[in-house]
Amino acid sequence: MQKSKSIPLLIAIILILSLALAACQQAAPEPAPEESGEVVVPEEPVVEEPAAERKVATFIWTQEFDNLNPLYTNMWFSSITQQIWNASAWNFDIENNPNPVLVTEIPSLENGGISADGRTITIKLRDDIVWSDNTPITAEDFVFTYEMVTNPSNIVTTSYPYNLITAISTPDELTVVAEFEEAFVPWVANLWRFVLPKHVLQPVFDAEGTIDAAPWNLAPTVSAGPYVFAEWESGSYTRFVRNENYYNEPAKIDEIFFRFVPDDASQVAALRTGDGDLGTFISQADIPTLEAAGVEVFAVVSGYDEGWFIYFGEEAHPALSDVRVRQAIALCFDRPSINRDLLLGLTEPAVTYWDNTPYANPNLDAYPYDPAAGMALLDEAGWVDSNGDGIRDKDGVELTLIHGTTSREIRQDTQAVAQQNLAECGIQLDLLSYSADVYFQSYGGGGPLPTGELDIGQFSSTEAFPDPDTSRWLCNEIPTDEYPDGINDQKICDPELDELFRLQSTQIDFEERQQTIWHIGEIMYENVYWLGVWQDLDTWAVSARLTNVNISGADPFYSIAEWDIVQ
Amino acid sequence: MTRYIIRRILQSIPLLLIISLILFVLLNSIGDPLAMMGGRNPTRPEDRARLARQLGLDKPVTTQYIYWLIGNDWTLIDVDGDGIPDTPGIRKGVLRGDFGTSIVTRGKPVIEIIWERVPNTLLLMIPAQIVILVLGLIVGTYSALRQYSWIDNAITTLSFVGFSMPIFLIALLSIYLFAVLFQRWGLPNLPANGMFDPQVGKTAGQVAKHMILPLFSIAFIDVARYSRYIRSAMLEVMSQDYIRTAKAKGLKRYYIIFIHALRNAFLPIVTLVGLDLPFLLAGAVVTERIFAWPGMGRLFLDHLQRADGPVVMGIVIILAVFVVLSQILTDITYAALDPRIRY
Repeated sequence: MQKSKSIPLLIAIILILSLALAACQQAAPEPAPEESGEVVVPEEPVVEEPAAERKVATFIWTQEFDNLNPLYTNMWFSSITQQIWNASAWNFDIENNPNPVLVTEIPSLENGGISADGRTITIKLRDDIVWSDNTPITAEDFVFTYEMVTNPSNIVTTSYPYNLITAISTPDELTVVAEFEEAFVPWVANLWRFVLPKHVLQPVFDAEGTIDAAPWNLAPTVSAGPYVFAEWESGSYTRFVRNENYYNEPAKIDEIFFRFVPDDASQVAALRTGDGDLGTFISQADIPTLEAAGVEVFAVVSGYDEGWFIYFGEEAHPALSDVRVRQAIALCFDRPSINRDLLLGLTEPAVTYWDNTPYANPNLDAYPYDPAAGMALLDEAGWVDSNGDGIRDKDGVELTLIHGTTSREIRQDTQAVAQQNLAECGIQLDLLSYSADVYFQSYGGGGPLPTGELDIGQFSSTEAFPDPDTSRWLCNEIPTDEYPDGINDQKICDPELDELFRLQSTQIDFEERQQTIWHIGEIMYENVYWLGVWQDLDTWAVSARLTNVNISGADPFYSIAEWDIVQ
Repeated sequence: MTRYIIRRILQSIPLLLIISLILFVLLNSIGDPLAMMGGRNPTRPEDRARLARQLGLDKPVTTQYIYWLIGNDWTLIDVDGDGIPDTPGIRKGVLRGDFGTSIVTRGKPVIEIIWERVPNTLLLMIPAQIVILVLGLIVGTYSALRQYSWIDNAITTLSFVGFSMPIFLIALLSIYLFAVLFQRWGLPNLPANGMFDPQVGKTAGQVAKHMILPLFSIAFIDVARYSRYIRSAMLEVMSQDYIRTAKAKGLKRYYIIFIHALRNAFLPIVTLVGLDLPFLLAGAVVTERIFAWPGMGRLFLDHLQRADGPVVMGIVIILAVFVVLSQILTDITYAALDPRIRY
């Protein structure tokens, strides 16, 4: 009996110890660190006004940062946060136009920032910019950034475009000159998008020969943005506090928490209950619920367009080599209803790969939903239902196509609609879905689209938004056994298109480049190399507490210092 | 007993090596960590080739396994990509306690990543296991002692409901009811996610409050499971001759139930607990994800999705060791509960 009496006691002790363990680990977060080295002199006691309540915002992120050092991450959730605590030479406003941040002006041909041959890009730094510890930001920091990106001892996520720089120099401490072997046109979206503090990281590199494991990577306590890193509780949240040494107008909100809530439904619940002030990647199905709870939802142009990528490799279905069949697919697929019904009318069918940018050809309209016209094209191409099974065929080959995409809900719904639409035109669509890590594998990794497992792939893509550059359709990017990492998954090699893509990457003049890309868009449209399904806008949910919120597609937090909270 | 334990531990060494090899090969075939490194864009071909070389992913899987197991500090590796191995490796290997560094959280030691999450998982899973055991025992025993009564029938019905409900449904329903609707109705609502409110801090009260919904979701299904096993075991024991003898001797009912019946009925439950013990460390993948509980289950899922081999291997190997140890512990408990058992 003695033993049975002790069991409840034991349980109680374990529970109490468990809770005590939690309590012991950490108390409430401390307020923002003071960056003052002055000796504090005791003063006469004065009657102080009650301190204003601290303004604290909580953002809900469905993915936890992998790393905060931009050298070591391309994760979207981490990269966009850079604008909060770090700074770039320039950022992109709500119209996705570049605005100077660390530089005095955006380089151009007119101000001499870009050389006539497009090979040299010169930036002039402001003379009042400092790191959060008050150390001046100079050209040396930019050169150090270049050196760290290109040093083989550092396992950086991408060395582009710094690997293209042939020489870098600093005529004075506020000027950085980068020289490229060839004209480098997409510099505005790729160059100097971040800068590393040399005075913090150089000693680490000198001691260890690499900055892969530098404490700054996960705790960048010295930075150049309106906020500065305060703490990171693994799996729970990251906290940023106002940078008191910020060289522009100080941020209005005192602290920002990023809470990591991986489940979409839980994210929505947190926004509805007011536990979060901002969330992103909101599913269209959740928008009415959030709006009913007083949460405002923004759709922001981020350059992404959801599209069908038709496969042209040797294993492709023979029908897809006929442009009339591809055009028939475009006409038989009811994309307007997908946008109207599945996407709640928030989007429109994408016409070109560059919709909502100056590079979208204004003379093109989306293929209408016209199954009669589609069927006429199929008849003309010789694809008819000769055996009465409801599926068109030609030379004994049935018009059955394999469509594959990721397991994202909206894509699965789209697949179902497309299958029904195309069946009405006599085209059978067999559906496959994959987890994202499998779906986006390269040819060498056995990815389903580049290996010819699919006839049509569907996903959303952009490469260098807001710059239009892409090498996705270059002939030399077709993956092979010898070059398994090529990114031309569709294996399209159209010499005219190839030449135009190469031309645009050398055109410094905006209008000339625009014309080239409009022409590219026209060729892709007429040949249905890529069929836009919807303009994949980023959806942001913002609580009524947050005011003065402006979100840009390229740099969502470009104006974070101006955001405020209504208590 | 000591010899038995030593023998079992020695036997487990080749077993763990075989498990590690199989898991390593499987993990290498399920995903490509480089595929996700481009963020929302494909990884650039030149970056892919460089990263594969720098991370050692261009090596044959057998070489990768050997480096993972015994390290690469005895050989030279090619860091700069000139095709000449000229830099000494720095990895010591799992056998020397070096689980490597995460591919995703570049440069952070795997063991540090795992250790950050272990206390959080134990904090959720130990109370959950205690609640499951205690409630399972009470409900199962009560149900067995009142077989075919309306209470037994009600418990049986509820058990089957709990048994057949997926945990994500219970979790999402409980969030909707206790967090969203309670707030709308002006009632004190429970937090929908997280381990504590970061603006308040990690206090005992905060953790306890945030623990209620995930603990409820885990316990709801497992109480149903345990109570069914205990009911069945109790019914079997209560019909044994020694229970009849005890009743004939005039022993008090509670003495018969708690000293004679429950102790014997508990033997099969020990097996069940033994099988569940590793989950104390593994965490509850679905529950942790839905409630944003920063535990091992979520860590495993997050890193598996990005094919972060070193972290995933670290977790599964630690779990494999824990499974072996929990089985040895189960055997020892058997012997303690039933003096007839000898090893």
